[in-house]
Amino acid sequence: MKYTTFNQEKTNQLDEPMFFGKPVNVARYDQQKHSIFEKLIEKQISFFWRPEEVDVSRDRVDFQKLSDPEKHIFISNLKYQTLLDSVQGRSPNIAFLPIISLPELETWVETWSFFETIHSRSYTHILRNLFVDPSEIFEDIVDNEEIKRRATDISRYYDDLIYATQLWQTRGEGTYELDGEPYVVTMRELKKKMYLCMNSVNALEAIRFYVSFACTFAFAERELMEGNSKIIRLIARDENLHLTSTQHILNLWARGKDDPEMAEIAEECHEEAKAIFLKAVEQEKQWAEYLFQHGSMIGLNKEILCQYVEYIANQRMSAIGMGTPFDVTSNPLPWMNNYLVSDNVQVAPQESEISSYLVGQIDSSVSEDDFADFEL
Amino acid sequence: MTTKDDEHRIEIIDTVTITSHANKTLLETLEAQNVEVQYHCREGFCGACRTKILSGDVDYTTDPLAFIDDDEILPCCCKPNSDITIKITP
Repeated sequence: MKYTTFNQEKTNQLDEPMFFGKPVNVARYDQQKHSIFEKLIEKQISFFWRPEEVDVSRDRVDFQKLSDPEKHIFISNLKYQTLLDSVQGRSPNIAFLPIISLPELETWVETWSFFETIHSRSYTHILRNLFVDPSEIFEDIVDNEEIKRRATDISRYYDDLIYATQLWQTRGEGTYELDGEPYVVTMRELKKKMYLCMNSVNALEAIRFYVSFACTFAFAERELMEGNSKIIRLIARDENLHLTSTQHILNLWARGKDDPEMAEIAEECHEEAKAIFLKAVEQEKQWAEYLFQHGSMIGLNKEILCQYVEYIANQRMSAIGMGTPFDVTSNPLPWMNNYLVSDNVQVAPQESEISSYLVGQIDSSVSEDDFADFEL
Repeated sequence: MTTKDDEHRIEIIDTVTITSHANKTLLETLEAQNVEVQYHCREGFCGACRTKILSGDVDYTTDPLAFIDDDEILPCCCKPNSDITIKITP
């Protein structure tokens, strides 16, 4: 089905599924099929921040004091996060926008991706402060085998969905042979690709950042690289919100609250989706091993980091009905929580940021009691 | 255990029974009693503190954005409005 940027057919957006219904026409937010996405948009906008607001100049001095293994840990994590946000800054837009049918979901995806671009910009901000020329770091992202292996897994479900959507939009359903490869394009296959892709994105938002976050906050516990830590706290807050959105999408499907066919697919592909999550967990543990190959850093080692990944994975998997496959009963890094509290995030001292402040800041309800002690 | 009007019993399965505090969220009440609960945002959008509620009811101080099942609550942004029974899986 050909995509149109303004579908002139009259549609009732309240009857459309999240994906693969009629293209969105009017961007209206007065009514929503799934109001959660409208709320997420408002919350995300209230989080707006700019990397330049965070002073990272002291980090340069700290960085020189780090041991070589610690420098390796710090820089490798930045490279990996740069990869993740490079993918996330564009892919939800390219993969999901052409097949979305609800205005609130369309705008949520755009808002989400936009914030990932802020994250990407913040890595440049951090690296420009540490190196006169950060090119070598950026260039290694496409050379480094460890990063490339992760990039392959992160992008393949997006790429699959994007290509199948392009075939469907230009040629319709059918079986095609392109460059000697057969492609079966049916609505069922498209929806399956959609489901697996959303699971892959969910796993990314759920755990792929957390090894890196833990290292950053472990440096901050030693009062090192604190500018970087402030930025990562802002990023972590955004990522938590993004995760909430993918969990909602997966659960809306699984519970039959959206497209009934997606509920069938969720059941049919449950094991495959779980395998995607478990592979991400495995890759994160391997990443911890790669980080500490030249030596550990104070307060963290490979074992404890792997336990933390399993702990977080249990929580995130149970949220989408995948159970708790790992045997970790308590949080191995309890101090991490202090860095993930939303309101502890503070950009400038004069701007202590209460995120609820921007949403509904005016209290317009006045009762008679308010005038009880008022006399003329 | 007798409680005042705005205080409710919070029974935590396999652990202790404590009393709620009108000025504190459920998470703050639990922390004040040294009950370990996982949390991140403390604002209802991340879902890290998701907890099973077996009986009773809560009022939300902020609209929870995180996904929660019908039998789950977010202690970071709610207060009990009756006696409640909860199960904390760390």
